[in-house]
Amino acid sequence: MIRNYIKIAWRNLLKNKGYSAINIGGLAVGMAVTMLIGLWIWDELSFDKYHQNYDNIARVMQHQNFNGEIGTQFANPAVLGQQIRDKYGSDFKYVLQSSWNFQHTLAYGEKKLLKAGSFFEPGVTEMLSLKMLKGTRAGLKETNSILLSESVAKAYFGNADPMEKILKIDNKVDVKVTGVYEDLPYNTSFRDLTFIMPWDLYLAQNPWIKEMENPWGSNFTQTFAQVADNADMEKVSAKIKNVKLDVLGPEERRYKPAIFLHPMSKWHLYADFKNGLNIGGRIQYVWLFGIVGLFVLLLACINFMNLSTARSEKRAKEVGVRKAIGSTRGQLITQFFSESFLVVFFAFALSLLLVTLLLPFFNETADKKILLPWLNPVFWLMGISFSIFTGLVAGSYPALYLSSFQPVKVLKGTFRVGRFAALPRKVLVVLQFSVSIILIIGTIVVYQQIQHAKNRPVGYNRESLIYVALNEVIHSKYDALRNELKTRNVIVEMSQSTSPTTEVWNTNGGFDWEGKDPNLGVDFPNNGVSHEYGKVIGWKIKEGRDFSRELASDSLAFIMNESAVKFIGFKNPVGKILRWEGKPYKIIGVIKDMLVESPYKPIRASLFHIEREQGNIIQLKINPNLAPSDALARIENTFKKYDPATSFEFNFVDEAFARKFGDEERVGTLAAVFAVLAIFISCLGLFGLASFVAEQRTKEIGIRKVVGASVFNLWTLLSKDFVALVIIACGIAIPLAWYGMYQWLQKYDYRTDISWWIFAAAILGAMLITILTVSFQAIKAAIANPVKSLRTE
Amino acid sequence: MIKITDLEKIYRTEDIETVALNKLSFEVKEGEFVAIMGPSGCGKSTLLNILGLLDDPDGGSFVFNNEEIAHYSESKRAQIRKRNIGFVFQSFNLIDELTVFENVELPLIYLNMKASERKEKVEEVLKKMQVMHRRNHYPQQLSGGQQQRVAVARAVVNNPKLILADEPTGNLDSSNGNEVMQLLTDLNEQGTTIIMVTHSEHDARYSHRIIRLLDGQMVLENSLI
Repeated sequence: MIRNYIKIAWRNLLKNKGYSAINIGGLAVGMAVTMLIGLWIWDELSFDKYHQNYDNIARVMQHQNFNGEIGTQFANPAVLGQQIRDKYGSDFKYVLQSSWNFQHTLAYGEKKLLKAGSFFEPGVTEMLSLKMLKGTRAGLKETNSILLSESVAKAYFGNADPMEKILKIDNKVDVKVTGVYEDLPYNTSFRDLTFIMPWDLYLAQNPWIKEMENPWGSNFTQTFAQVADNADMEKVSAKIKNVKLDVLGPEERRYKPAIFLHPMSKWHLYADFKNGLNIGGRIQYVWLFGIVGLFVLLLACINFMNLSTARSEKRAKEVGVRKAIGSTRGQLITQFFSESFLVVFFAFALSLLLVTLLLPFFNETADKKILLPWLNPVFWLMGISFSIFTGLVAGSYPALYLSSFQPVKVLKGTFRVGRFAALPRKVLVVLQFSVSIILIIGTIVVYQQIQHAKNRPVGYNRESLIYVALNEVIHSKYDALRNELKTRNVIVEMSQSTSPTTEVWNTNGGFDWEGKDPNLGVDFPNNGVSHEYGKVIGWKIKEGRDFSRELASDSLAFIMNESAVKFIGFKNPVGKILRWEGKPYKIIGVIKDMLVESPYKPIRASLFHIEREQGNIIQLKINPNLAPSDALARIENTFKKYDPATSFEFNFVDEAFARKFGDEERVGTLAAVFAVLAIFISCLGLFGLASFVAEQRTKEIGIRKVVGASVFNLWTLLSKDFVALVIIACGIAIPLAWYGMYQWLQKYDYRTDISWWIFAAAILGAMLITILTVSFQAIKAAIANPVKSLRTE
Repeated sequence: MIKITDLEKIYRTEDIETVALNKLSFEVKEGEFVAIMGPSGCGKSTLLNILGLLDDPDGGSFVFNNEEIAHYSESKRAQIRKRNIGFVFQSFNLIDELTVFENVELPLIYLNMKASERKEKVEEVLKKMQVMHRRNHYPQQLSGGQQQRVAVARAVVNNPKLILADEPTGNLDSSNGNEVMQLLTDLNEQGTTIIMVTHSEHDARYSHRIIRLLDGQMVLENSLI
């Protein structure tokens, strides 16, 4: 029986090649989109699952009350790990202090490369279940040891054995390679951890950490933990809440630090906090794209339903005959489902091909490294289930509709589809276009929002501005280097700072001023800069003056931004005193707000002070009269002259700024691609439907022509129904799209308005696409010879 | 074999009620060849559809093989239909996507017969209908006469007790028409009961009995034997 069904289905496919191509092509595109989104969601949901202890690992974080709001941060005092171990050791398997994953110069002989890595307390290899390719997980016992990732080991030693080899770190200290671990996958939070060194080495390199007067006063390291096997993460998290608060003096207790565990399972998808509460994060994109994927698949299924039912008159006779010779309705339903499954089978095969071809582009757009798991039985099981689901959805309506025909009517030739038979098809077309229009509007709003943020005034000049990491060697020769670069006219000016221009690396509390509420805990981004910083980045002085090398008093001076003035409440800030850790600092200038952090968030109250000892970053304003490549080559040569052991790596500030839009741009690009595909699928269906309508109305068109209708009259006649459907779709889509995008924009403090023209453009676009799609068939039918069309009856 | 008593069928639209069959009663015995005649709209086809279990009567009794089946469900009717009744239509109603062989094979598939057995039966009936040489052709590749032979082959392949023919020669020229009527006569002589709706007095003369309908009622019954 099934063979017979498949045979009929196959011959039907061959007989109606155009229709089959539209059906299979449309479904394949829909399935490919859904599959790509499925792979993306799978990748997102399996983030960090590489680690065997995934369920028990957490990042130790803290909420603190700053400036009247609760802020949440990763940065902890370096002593936090030890304190937790001492007080709550039995609840944990590991509590590990770690440095930030910064870049360091690793040198082996003449080979010097910048690689990112961290210093960790013992246990990290076990906690992260690193797969050791050489050596053991106990490889960090010696202070001067290092574990390399496979790719870093290869970069230095090729196929030679790296074990026991000596590397020089940052031109300062020798370390021995004691192990090599498998590279951490791209979908893990530790993917950039390309080497690990012992925490003890970090302490030895930074003796000031142990010498700190108040080790709880600064948050500059990270803490990771693995709870004990049978421990409840939530309960342990609640237990350690006051571990920091309990050891603080009255001054710092004002910040009310609350320590908590953020489980690894939430790092990637639930990373955002607002006022002390977890408000989700990328999980919204998982939902969003999941819904988009389902809708795109639904659009493709709707095509199948519409084209199948539009052809119902052609299939009616077959249904009648089959029923007359004994087929039950159930058997007919099975037959039509077999047909849809055959189409879905071809579409699935084609979609696999499409996914294979599109995956590199998709990976690049979505910043992923997804591979098609050809050998994974789960993938095939899911693929088959997905195909069955698609077949059931796409085949359900045609199967139920076609099998319901009365044999009496169809066999006698009196069968005509009823007045309302096309209604479900119309509803489905409206649904298709509603989804497409929502996607168009969504895409435009996402782009608008990105553009809005990009156009936000940054308050400084990014042009010809680069930054370089500042190490100890360069630090000791800073003035000589600056002088040489300036003398050779390679740069306009050079400065140093503790935070880069596009990020905040350090904040400080301990500020006091006249009229401050004594219970208010404050914490400001506080960039320690050299005197030329403002000149290099081109900040705009609003009141007062810039720092000056000529005035020694500037070492106890602040320049603050407009937001700081507003927050503190000074009416005439210049000349006023702001006390920091008890010392009086004079406010010498106010600058216009600079956009340093998220382009979507309000600018924080920020301070700048002179700091010549603790700089991390050098900014260089390149001479605009030189070709950038030439200038960069000269800068590199000069840096190498002063620090031959370090490889010269630089970043353009505008590129660093552009990276802030990464997530939104990725969402925008993907939404645009999905919108285009959704429209393509909808148009494919519309095209097929229009051709059937034209075919069905051949006689009517012939008669109308004979009695005097022009091509334009007929084109209007055939197109107006579809245009009406799209107008209805606009009516449904616009409020839904407005509501959805309004909600989406609420997560941004700095957001665009949803302008009326977006809706106008979407309506116009949808209308134009519809008219173009339908016109081809309408005009073809309208210009056909009426004698011919009448004869076909 | 068939006994209908006071059979009624009424078509209703919003404004009009049309009585297609008006308390019609007659009996057809096993092995009979009955022709049903009457002007257009007299209820011939409605009657044939009810006899073929394709349609439900609105009233009255319909006994088929001593079983009252007037109000059987669609699935039950399909079961009886596929085992007992063969159809021959004016417009042949072959499935365009299937070959001659496959069209004839179809009723046997619905009877869940084994493939080897099906092949044997189909070939036997195709030979009998003299279209064996066309077994791999599609309906559109055949002449009208050949198509109707195939339709008859399909109707008889599962040895039905009853064949219902709805103007079987309506789309054929006289020579092909005569051949089809001869085929039906042969089948009847081999024991198959045949009920045929026709407009043609010529074709009706092949039958044993003519039932004439007007406005859904029997107005005359002629025995030709």
